[in-house]
Amino acid sequence: MPGVYFTTTEFLDDAKSAAKDRGMPGIRMIALPADTYYRARATQQELQPIANAVFDRMVDDLVRPLTAEEAKPSQVQKQHENTNIKVTGKDFQDAYQNVNDLFLESHWADGLPIVPPTPALVKAMLAATTRSPDEVLGQAAPKNGTATVEKIAVNAVMAGAKPEYFPVILAAMDGFLDKHYDLTHVQASTGSFTPVVIVNGPLSKELDFNSGIGMLGHGWRANSTVGRALRLSLLNIGQTWPAVNDMALTGRFEAYTFFTFAEDEAKSPWEPYSVSRGFKPEDSTVTVASSGTPLILGGGAVAPWTAQGIIDLVVARAPNSAFWVHSQQYTIILHPDCAYELGKMGFTRKSLEEYLYEHTKVPYEKVAATTTAFGHDKASDLIQAAIDDGRIRPDRAQIFRDALKPGGKVPIVQSPEDFHIFVAGGSPGYSLLFSYTGPNWANETKKVSGATLTKAGH
Amino acid sequence: MKRQSNWLLGAALACASLFLAGSAAAQVTLEVMNPRGEIPPPKTLGISPRGGKLDGKKIVLIDNGKFGADNFLNVVAQIIKQKYPGATVVMDPKPSAQTITALPKWYPTVKQQGDLFVFGVGD
Repeated sequence: MPGVYFTTTEFLDDAKSAAKDRGMPGIRMIALPADTYYRARATQQELQPIANAVFDRMVDDLVRPLTAEEAKPSQVQKQHENTNIKVTGKDFQDAYQNVNDLFLESHWADGLPIVPPTPALVKAMLAATTRSPDEVLGQAAPKNGTATVEKIAVNAVMAGAKPEYFPVILAAMDGFLDKHYDLTHVQASTGSFTPVVIVNGPLSKELDFNSGIGMLGHGWRANSTVGRALRLSLLNIGQTWPAVNDMALTGRFEAYTFFTFAEDEAKSPWEPYSVSRGFKPEDSTVTVASSGTPLILGGGAVAPWTAQGIIDLVVARAPNSAFWVHSQQYTIILHPDCAYELGKMGFTRKSLEEYLYEHTKVPYEKVAATTTAFGHDKASDLIQAAIDDGRIRPDRAQIFRDALKPGGKVPIVQSPEDFHIFVAGGSPGYSLLFSYTGPNWANETKKVSGATLTKAGH
Repeated sequence: MKRQSNWLLGAALACASLFLAGSAAAQVTLEVMNPRGEIPPPKTLGISPRGGKLDGKKIVLIDNGKFGADNFLNVVAQIIKQKYPGATVVMDPKPSAQTITALPKWYPTVKQQGDLFVFGVGD
């Protein structure tokens, strides 16, 4: 069916890139001027001159016969990315600088200096795992680059990661590349979604991940370089670049290292998060989640706070107008004092998940009156569609059917386990809410395996 | 921390030194590995053939649900009616992102509704 695709000048590169990725590079596109369209789009009156200006072009694109290239475009050839590159300089310092210049100009780096990924350093990284260099972990969105163990090792070297960290990096990549994790949305959306990476188990201590004061900040090599290795791996293997196909309008809150830290299992009143999800205490795991704007729930060294006040704020702020109940995820980081108080109040991790599940339910009448963020539909209709097409699991579907009636109370997540509760931070500390609202799921926990250089993680 | 930094620098220098020998200008060459993932190329397809005039055609205007897209397409619809009275306009909102699984069933319905389509505004 002949057609024309309207986009804006700011998104034209992204649209062309997506069309090429999906095998239709010839789609006829018209870019509206971004500097006037977004300001004018609220009213038809203001849009009139913009539509007038492109109208004849639109008609022409709809009826103009195809060129030979449009009718039968050349097959896109595979780009081979396995050839080593030799970079020369008058001395080591000069060569090192030239490598950095080349990588940044090629969009292979994040803007900070990288460690040149020489074959010797990559070999040393690969020696930290029993996993084969050729093992394919999956295809990385948005361009479906093939993620092999070796490619991830190259990026881990660039990030400055110790080889000992490599099995943790691979486990995190297993999570990001899981078919249930919506990496396309996390990597390409206009929202500032930022991956959250949380390490559990004995490796978190053995590798010296920070789980205390400053756990989201700089200064800890494990937190910083594991996060950066993931940043670079997703950038290079998924092949993203800001304003080309990574369209996060304000960028990401932890652009270089993501939110990477460990649970403070010793200060938690409960079992480790990983154990609550079925892993053994001796397992080391990595949980990869995603977050929009993080919210400080309370705590700190100055103002008074209560544990009840902190969970009240989760209850107040977690519901949103999207009602993507089939995929919404909440990652809650309780600082140790708050977790201690909640434990004293009688909460287990499980009962706290259930408390939040129950108390964040929204009256049916409110859901039925809500138009979703993408227009057209009432939130209640969309939840019904999610029940009908199986995105809400069959074992949870009846709960939602019962809730979608006058007087009903509609859960904002599929099950209590969609509240992922961790303990980390200082004493005093702050508690945090990482919310993820997206069309598909973005939370996975994977076991670290194959480690050769550490006591744990084998 | 310092021990590890020295290890990295040492390894990089050792590698660089492999290429020093035999270089008349005493240049240093660093051999580095490509960090990019290989992309399996998709099968490339052409776009649909077209020709003729707009008059007499049925045009489906697809609102992708982003704020203001309906306003823009409504203006486009008005101009079509003014300039091409023989053409017919059909408005068809795309199922929202929440009903993404509905898309495979929706695509054929677009084709059934008209001869041409206009989609916008992304993003």
